[in-house]
Amino acid sequence: MDTKELIFKLTENYGVSGDEFPACKTAANILSEYAKTEIDHFGNVIGYVGEVDKSKKTLLLDAHIDEIGLIVTYISDDGFLKVSNCGGIDRRLLLAQEVTVLGRKNISGVITSTPPHLEADDTKTPEIDNIYIDTGYTKEQLEEFVSLGDRIVFPAKAVILNCDQITGKSLDDRSGVAVILKTLEILKGKDLPVNLAVLFSSQEETGERGAKTAAFKIAPDYAVAIDVSFALTADDKPHKCGKLGKGPMIGVAPSLSRKMSDKFISLAKEENIPYQIEVMNGQTGTNADAIGVSGCGVKTVTLSIPLKYMHTPVEVISISDIENSAKLLAAFVEKGVE
Amino acid sequence: MMIDELEKLCNLNGTSGSEDEVRDYIINQIKNLCEYRIDNMGNVIAYKKGTCKVGKKLMISAHMDEVGMIVTYINDDGTLKIAPVGGIDPRVVFGRRVRVGKEKRLGVIGSKAVHNLSKEERDKAVTFEGMYVDIGCTSREEAEKIVSLGDNVYFDSDFVRLGDRLVKGKAIDDRAGVAVMLRMIREELPYDVTFAFVVQEEIGLRGSRCAAFEVDPEYAIVIESTTAADIPSASGSDRVCELGKGPVVSFMDRSTIYNKELYDLAFDLADKNNIPCQTKTRVAGGNDAGAIHITRGGIKTAAVSLATRYLHSPSCVADIQDFENVYKLVRVLSDSICSK
Repeated sequence: MDTKELIFKLTENYGVSGDEFPACKTAANILSEYAKTEIDHFGNVIGYVGEVDKSKKTLLLDAHIDEIGLIVTYISDDGFLKVSNCGGIDRRLLLAQEVTVLGRKNISGVITSTPPHLEADDTKTPEIDNIYIDTGYTKEQLEEFVSLGDRIVFPAKAVILNCDQITGKSLDDRSGVAVILKTLEILKGKDLPVNLAVLFSSQEETGERGAKTAAFKIAPDYAVAIDVSFALTADDKPHKCGKLGKGPMIGVAPSLSRKMSDKFISLAKEENIPYQIEVMNGQTGTNADAIGVSGCGVKTVTLSIPLKYMHTPVEVISISDIENSAKLLAAFVEKGVE
Repeated sequence: MMIDELEKLCNLNGTSGSEDEVRDYIINQIKNLCEYRIDNMGNVIAYKKGTCKVGKKLMISAHMDEVGMIVTYINDDGTLKIAPVGGIDPRVVFGRRVRVGKEKRLGVIGSKAVHNLSKEERDKAVTFEGMYVDIGCTSREEAEKIVSLGDNVYFDSDFVRLGDRLVKGKAIDDRAGVAVMLRMIREELPYDVTFAFVVQEEIGLRGSRCAAFEVDPEYAIVIESTTAADIPSASGSDRVCELGKGPVVSFMDRSTIYNKELYDLAFDLADKNNIPCQTKTRVAGGNDAGAIHITRGGIKTAAVSLATRYLHSPSCVADIQDFENVYKLVRVLSDSICSK
């Protein structure tokens, strides 16, 4: 499975938090080649690789399937949509941005921006409350196509930026989904020392809710949350970021299993896989936080893919980071988790 | 269809001073239809012959250039510093795809993740000073192989329909005017008319100034796009003009107090010909009329504009029927002026 094509495919369909089905379907289809797969009522894709052996511990690999977006809250008399955010939108990019309204049919729109003569202060970013979506339709027409609660997305099809880099929307965290699928490809047909469960979780961006319910259901002993993390950009601090193209970022944090972190590090060295260490000083801001305290507790670690410009339609990742993450994760599953 | 040609024109790239793609397209369209010349500025001056009558000397103009950015520096990490060419609110550039240089290399404009911003930073718009374009290079050496200082940077924005009435695209300002002029050149006109496709409007009305001097007309019509603020957050006169209410004819803007005779004539003709027509409810903006009307001993000038939302952004939005009506009004206005 070509990594670039896999990313293109996984990001093609939308899956804004709470409305992940289109994205789930694509991911579940691919996952079903490797695992018994279901989509549960919470919008989680859950898969079990092989038969469950009760004498073995269970390892869960998680990546979230949802992406950030907007949600329709009101249709104004003159045919503009008012919205709220689903997940942490970067308000700096809203003005005059192109969007697609996912109504009964997909509708193109533009976020309103106020011309200079009406702006007392154009050095400020707009509040979500003060923007509208311009679709060109009247209120009556909109009421036919659009319901309150419909999602709105930034329609940025993934493309190659340069050589090994891909830019597009929802690389956070379809990249993680891709890493898991690539891992399963490597492990196919192999005897594993653990029962392997896979979760493509819903509603991470709105509070790690899918991972919470699914982890309860799966009840794993160990878990790896595969998400994206900050790749250094010119205006950020090197000590807070990894670097794009320099390999997976292994999480080390008080809330994570240090044994699992150490195992990842030693495996990366053994297998000659480039890696970076991501130190966090408490919780991680990923599904690891919810999974780690599921049931009686789950030993959890994070594996992160460096990504630039998070939560924008111009996110950037490196294909080599995805492939190296998959290699490392496959070694981890195969050679014991701690 | 004029709207199909507008789509083609908007998808061409031509920031001020680099109007080549647009100029080449125009020349291809008109070369068998009329005499034309390209002046030292890069303006295309087309001399369209009328069917018979001799009338007043009229110049109709529209500008070929669009707003965009220019590469000013290559950072050590391979990202590009840019400056705006023309007036752009930096807030409509952030978080976008752009095209860099002649080869139209893909680039993206982002910054550190929203998660890593302080509360103050979240509320603060990104400025051009703090902005950079990422073309996927990791060093200056790598970037220098692809990009040169002074390369143009364009919005990457598809031309699409919005709803039943509207279109969205970059550069509607002022390819709409270019499309109207091309249509008129293809048609039979009763009087001789000189059409000036001008350069460098967005950086200070520079092409039109020389074109007007060269052509030396008695009358001029400028076909433009102008800011409409008919959005829910604006009311009353703040809306300036509105989509769907026809061409915009101004009495005054920041650069021109328009000739009263032509202003009245435009509304008169609109009324007689059942063309909706509106004026701007604020003295705002400016266009090539500012340069043209004070050329030589002064030229009687009118501006007929297409009301456009989100002007100077990658997502300009205009009304298809308004566009058609801009054409209709310019047609009757030019005939009427020539027959004076």
